Amino acid sequence: MINVQDIRDTARDLLAKGEVRAVIGWRAGTRGAAAEPCVIHAPEEAASLVWDPTCVHNLALYLVNDRKELVHAKKTADKPIAIVAKGCDARAIVVLLQEHYFKREDVHIIGVSCENSGVIDTRKAAPLLKGFAPTAIAFDGDDFAVTTAKGQQTLASREVMADRCLECRTPFPKESNSVLGEDKSGRDFAPQFAALQRFEEQDEAARWEFWQRQFDRCIRCFACRSVCPMCFCDECVVDSIEMKIAPETTAEEKANRIRWIERSAVRSENATYHMTRALHLAGRCVDCGECERVCPVNIPLRLLNTKMEREARETFGFEPGASIGGPSLVASFRDDDPGEFIR
Amino acid sequence: MSEQQNYEPKIVAFLCKWCSSAGSDLAGVSRIQYPANATPIQVPCSGSVSPMYILSALKKGADGVLVSGCHIGDCHYIEGNFLARRKLHLVKEMLRFVGIEENRFRMSWVSAAEGAKFAEVVKEFVEDLRPLGPQEQLKAKRA
Repeated sequence: MINVQDIRDTARDLLAKGEVRAVIGWRAGTRGAAAEPCVIHAPEEAASLVWDPTCVHNLALYLVNDRKELVHAKKTADKPIAIVAKGCDARAIVVLLQEHYFKREDVHIIGVSCENSGVIDTRKAAPLLKGFAPTAIAFDGDDFAVTTAKGQQTLASREVMADRCLECRTPFPKESNSVLGEDKSGRDFAPQFAALQRFEEQDEAARWEFWQRQFDRCIRCFACRSVCPMCFCDECVVDSIEMKIAPETTAEEKANRIRWIERSAVRSENATYHMTRALHLAGRCVDCGECERVCPVNIPLRLLNTKMEREARETFGFEPGASIGGPSLVASFRDDDPGEFIR
Repeated sequence: MSEQQNYEPKIVAFLCKWCSSAGSDLAGVSRIQYPANATPIQVPCSGSVSPMYILSALKKGADGVLVSGCHIGDCHYIEGNFLARRKLHLVKEMLRFVGIEENRFRMSWVSAAEGAKFAEVVKEFVEDLRPLGPQEQLKAKRA
């Protein structure tokens, strides 16, 4: 188990020595037990950092935001930015490095291992707490100590952990400058792709019946896109917002602008949006599960992403976020890639 | 029933300009008879076909989408069709996964000398699409 003081000390030392310009981490939130992402700039702020089962967010997103801010301001950073990263966060950073989004020396990774635990899925925990809202959630060994108005109780982590954590095989940051906690890679709490397996056993009509219900529900809030560290494009191809409109731009030009996918929240557009997004994430998605967590209408987005992940692994022997120098999935090929489907 | 009989599948065909597009021309100048259901769209390379082209075509009312490029090893850009093969395998799997009929999407390798093969590919595709009926799953209401 990681002592949160170690994270605070590491962050404070880095800031005090001037080795980094800021540290991205989690601090206590203002609503209930949930931690929230934060960026600290002063050594004394390090005391506010926390590490508990509510540190669900993939902080790699804020590295992307930081880079965007620098680029847009046409500035270069003289020092790296530090980030507290779980195993999945670190995998996301590796993919970003692989895609040259920033350089390795621009980021200082303070790795934290989830060891034999993970983050909490509050939807799973709610019935066990009998309606009492948690005011604090802490690690208790591998389990979670949850404090509510009724007192403290310990919940078995296997029962309330997020699905993605149960399926996670590498809860240890493979890329880091310093790391806290032990490497428990290879742990096996739940079979990987089990939900996918169950889903694929259904026939074509049942599969469409299911997805059509999911796509109908989407409200196109784009939370899945906004929370994803891999969706870093300034202008998303599914909603072009940057068409330059000058006084001489004719109505026809505006009308004829290519709209691959429209923004309206109807089935056809939602379906093509989600499928396009999953395809754009193929070989890049590190299964941090954030898209599914933030979805306000509970669309099982991990199903689409893990489908691509399994396809990449089983058909092409590709593992996203495995190494910085490696090729990307769709920009590389092997001579013996399957081609039987081609006439 | 009569509607079913009159149904003509609409196919959007993304053809590589270096081979399949010339192959379709050859089919034409050789006066080979084949169904006129395919609307050709010339692309610089099969590797340039984005998954979104295919989804967008289905969304805009295509009953089937064909992507055709050069045989493996013959790519004008050396490796474009290798990349296409990998990328479009993922598209095929994704379509299958959400429950779109597998025969709605097809890929073929047709060289500039294979006019007859191009005609055959389109003919087969139309025959496979006919029993499926109009594509309604991804079609936009307004398309």
